[in-house]
Amino acid sequence: MWWVGAGYKTRNVDPSALTPPSFLLLNSRPQLLLVISVTMAKDMTLLWASGSPPCWGVQIALEEKNLQGYNQKLLSVAKGEQKSKEVLEINPRGQLPAFKHGKIILNESYAACLYLENQFKSQGTQLIPEGAAEVGLMYQLIFEAQPLAQKIGEVLYYNWKVPEGERHDSAVQRNKEALKEEMKIWEGHLQGCGDFLVGKSFSLADVIIFPVFAYFIRNGGSEERYPNVAAYYKKLRDRPSIKKTWPPTWIDGPGMGTLKDI
Amino acid sequence: MTSSGFPGCQSAPAVPAHMAKSMSLLWGAGSPPCWRVMITLEEKRLQGYKRKLLSFQKGEHKSQEVLEVNPRGQLPAFRHGDVVVNESTAACLYLENRFQSQGNRLIPDSPAEQALVFQRMMEGLTLTDRLNSVIYYDLLVPEEERHDSALKRSKETLSTELQLWEGYLQNVAAGSYLAGPFSLADVVVYPNVAFAFRFGLSAGRFPKLAKYYSLLKERPSIKASWPPQWMSSRQGYDVLKDL
Repeated sequence: MWWVGAGYKTRNVDPSALTPPSFLLLNSRPQLLLVISVTMAKDMTLLWASGSPPCWGVQIALEEKNLQGYNQKLLSVAKGEQKSKEVLEINPRGQLPAFKHGKIILNESYAACLYLENQFKSQGTQLIPEGAAEVGLMYQLIFEAQPLAQKIGEVLYYNWKVPEGERHDSAVQRNKEALKEEMKIWEGHLQGCGDFLVGKSFSLADVIIFPVFAYFIRNGGSEERYPNVAAYYKKLRDRPSIKKTWPPTWIDGPGMGTLKDI
Repeated sequence: MTSSGFPGCQSAPAVPAHMAKSMSLLWGAGSPPCWRVMITLEEKRLQGYKRKLLSFQKGEHKSQEVLEVNPRGQLPAFRHGDVVVNESTAACLYLENRFQSQGNRLIPDSPAEQALVFQRMMEGLTLTDRLNSVIYYDLLVPEEERHDSALKRSKETLSTELQLWEGYLQNVAAGSYLAGPFSLADVVVYPNVAFAFRFGLSAGRFPKLAKYYSLLKERPSIKASWPPQWMSSRQGYDVLKDL
């Protein structure tokens, strides 16, 4: 689907304000694209868990691409609902997010985000920049975010992942040190950054990585020790797509403080 | 070049040499991530890039030369002019983005096919992790923290993972790979599969993976970038033979 005029944006029109069928007769491009995006969104379904960075990234992408109106269901990982039949039918791995667009299934959050940007390039925010340096940096950062997310998980979920007989204080210590080193790298990446991770505009790097930083801070990560990360977090948390999709279970006060020593 | 039946490889126009000449790759032999970047460079007809083979065993991935490109001291370390992309999947995506219309298309446009390429590509990273957890167990876990039960569990997880990929390749045939025609999904995953067989994976127990492995072995970009020390010794290791 190649639209003439890259970077063309739709207006933010509230879909509920439209009155069918008269709007179908409009020959105005913004409203036509809006019709299409509302229709497209109705063919989309997202099964998600609150606070999960991969799920949150997909939600942010959907908002940024003006694909509000998608079907969605909030599931509870604490209750093991990611292993329910409903999820397994879409994602045999029993993991969230589980995302469908018609018959198309995308259960890897990065895959869903890349797909949404590529298929809906000319609507909403342009999430992949034009210039070589920015594109290179964007891809580099989103894949560097994988070890970041992994290391957070190794610390937060050590006791859940490792059976009692296999646990070692030395491993716990090592995981903490590794996360500390990783956070220092990201603190460095954000040195001298403007409002966004890449250049002057919001990109897939922010879509994917903001939730990871938010998760770190939510779980006790120190804003004093990582001032650049904290500043980035504070700047972006009021962005409409992020505010709208803020994890519902985070609204009721602070979370676990397990990462406070990192 | 062998007659491969891959029209893209053979009929695409020659690439201006200067593009590849502004690229450099620091790599280590047998490293699936390095191999991914090399396959992509071949597929996009960007041969002629500068490259240097470094030795993990000698610790050369932590040398000043690498650290200047990749402060994490990891390989691959890839530069295109001033652009540095050290994460292998990122480098592949970058190259396809910048050189989309030359060489072979590695990401299709049509929604269903494109989605499958992205999905399998990213699942490929899970496969990588699970392979590494077994193959590099002793490297990743200090001696006093090792447990047979942990390694056993990692092997079971890997076995389940490989069976999933065996399922994805139910209909594997020439020209019909992880997401239809050869794509970025295969660029990311094939090196892992080759790696698995190198480390003793049973072709008998994983016949579809074995077929995938041998079909793509002949692809020019894969042949051209085949890990050198794998060619010199036919025997690898056997840590995966019981899976």
